[in-house]
Amino acid sequence: MSDPSAGGSPARGATVRFEHVTKRYEVKEKGPGAVNDLTLDVPAGKICVLVGPSGCGKTTSLKMVNRLIEPTSGRILIDGTDISRQDPIALRRGIGYVIQQTGLFPHQKVGENVAVVPRLLGWDAKRRRERTDELLALVGLDPARYRDRYPSQLSGGERQRVGVARALAVDPPVMLMDEPFGAVDPIVRERLQNEFLRLQEQLAKTILFVTHDIDEAIKMGDLVAVMQRGGVLAQFGPPDEILSDPASDFVARFVGADRGLKRLSLARVRDLELMPVVTAREGADAAESRARAKADAFQYLLLVDAADRPIGWVDQDAIPAEGRLTEDIAISMSPLLDGHTTLKDALSMIIDAEVVAGIVVDRDGRALGLVTAETIGAAMRDGVVTEAATRNEPPDEASDPESEPDREAAATGEAIARG
Amino acid sequence: MADEPLVDWEWVFEHLDDLWAATYQHLQLTIIAVLVGLVISAVVSLLIYRDRRFYGPLVGVAGFLYTIPSLALFALLVPITGLSILTAEIALVSYTLLILIRNIMAGLDGVPREMREAADGMGYTTWQRLARIEFPLALPVIVAGLRIATVTIIGLVTVAGLIGQGGLGALMIRGFSRNFPTQIYLGAFLTVVLALLADAALLLLQRALTPWNRSGAR
Repeated sequence: MSDPSAGGSPARGATVRFEHVTKRYEVKEKGPGAVNDLTLDVPAGKICVLVGPSGCGKTTSLKMVNRLIEPTSGRILIDGTDISRQDPIALRRGIGYVIQQTGLFPHQKVGENVAVVPRLLGWDAKRRRERTDELLALVGLDPARYRDRYPSQLSGGERQRVGVARALAVDPPVMLMDEPFGAVDPIVRERLQNEFLRLQEQLAKTILFVTHDIDEAIKMGDLVAVMQRGGVLAQFGPPDEILSDPASDFVARFVGADRGLKRLSLARVRDLELMPVVTAREGADAAESRARAKADAFQYLLLVDAADRPIGWVDQDAIPAEGRLTEDIAISMSPLLDGHTTLKDALSMIIDAEVVAGIVVDRDGRALGLVTAETIGAAMRDGVVTEAATRNEPPDEASDPESEPDREAAATGEAIARG
Repeated sequence: MADEPLVDWEWVFEHLDDLWAATYQHLQLTIIAVLVGLVISAVVSLLIYRDRRFYGPLVGVAGFLYTIPSLALFALLVPITGLSILTAEIALVSYTLLILIRNIMAGLDGVPREMREAADGMGYTTWQRLARIEFPLALPVIVAGLRIATVTIIGLVTVAGLIGQGGLGALMIRGFSRNFPTQIYLGAFLTVVLALLADAALLLLQRALTPWNRSGAR
């Protein structure tokens, strides 16, 4: 097991392997869903999402990893070691476990909840306290403010953060997450997902993640295991593969008819080659601007302000023959996109605004180029989407409207640099 | 007779020491009965917690004891244990068992399944889980049982006066035998006051023991 010392470098993930794992229930026995001959290899440091309709055995599969449920047959190996030979109590203390909503103990303060496993392992109070503060800070909660609160005094999103902190307490190489973001509203869920993906980039834990939401599975998973009723593994692969090449009618139905659009959510504007745009600053010489616009195939010139921020489109034929360019000749605007906008969102914004192109801007709002529906379609055909999806980079901080501004700016800058 | 007041205040002020002694004795009999009952109930509940099959038989016995009229139980015990405090306490304790065992088990059973599973998933052993998760979460229901048991016993201790164990019951019996209403009213009044105070004290105890319940959602 890992050395759970606070402050040291975090323990990297371990491999998790299911070998012909079957769980059957007797007729009278109640259980969350049977599992039928599941074989699955999760590489170290990857997020594997188990997704499927209710009763497909995804939660059962998860709970067999920390032996809350024992398989009827087959075995599960963590880093090559058969877990059925390990003491279940020690095994569980060495695996992070995040549960939906009810997971926190209501009678324990936030700090006590986070320190549950350290306490079971007999850490002294000082070490527990240091680790708790470190973890609360890691998940974005001010230790001084949150340490002594009860879970009932927290919002849903804060509770989920505490749940993640608790699971990380002794720096386990493997984490099990059972619908960890299920109990919060969509906006908070999106933020928690993004934060968690960024955290995982540093931590590189091996994570088994259960959800019934295919969108969440595609977003969170390096690998997605689609399960169907009866505990049968319908397909196992990277998200783009599940979307582009469903293995069966069941998978195709489960991922939905809009799987093409879902694939677009795996790539971002920064992955595209942008269409160049002719710009002219407000107050620039009209004749010179007109000449430049006429030389370009695109009918419109983009009028920008002194800081190169877009003001609006100007029809090249509407540019006066002489004088200076003024704001009032601009006719319309396009939606502004930036590097981290997903292609799905970009397409949606372009269609919604009933325009041809979206304008890509950097973090200072300066126009960089254009994205059109055609550019996006071409990117899909040329495999840009697949390539980007395979890299599966975590989303930028900037996609969180409420994140701290300095970190947001830094992340966006990085994204633009990459794009 | 007709113009004699309900309460002879002069007598009251002359006998404050006696009244206090009777009240104190009453409280003492109650506390012993409830504490002993709590210990026995806790042990029985642990047994049931370990093995559910004990629930029926053990609660059945406690239920049987509960149905025996108090006077009859005293009468049954006196030939064996005499007119002693032991007789009184055996009877009193036997009345607490059903209430306490039922409430302890209801409290433990009321802990959500997900909470137990969360504890298991973290690596709690069965007893760690019981002591650190299930017991604290069951406390409100357990203390509620303790309140019912205490108030019940305060009422029953009055009957223990019949077998010469003092308390406010003895005060009332003296009042009956001397046809002196002051003692009867005062005995009844103090019993009620004692019951109300004990109930309030236990409620405060429960609040103190479960701070997470009043911190409230924000």
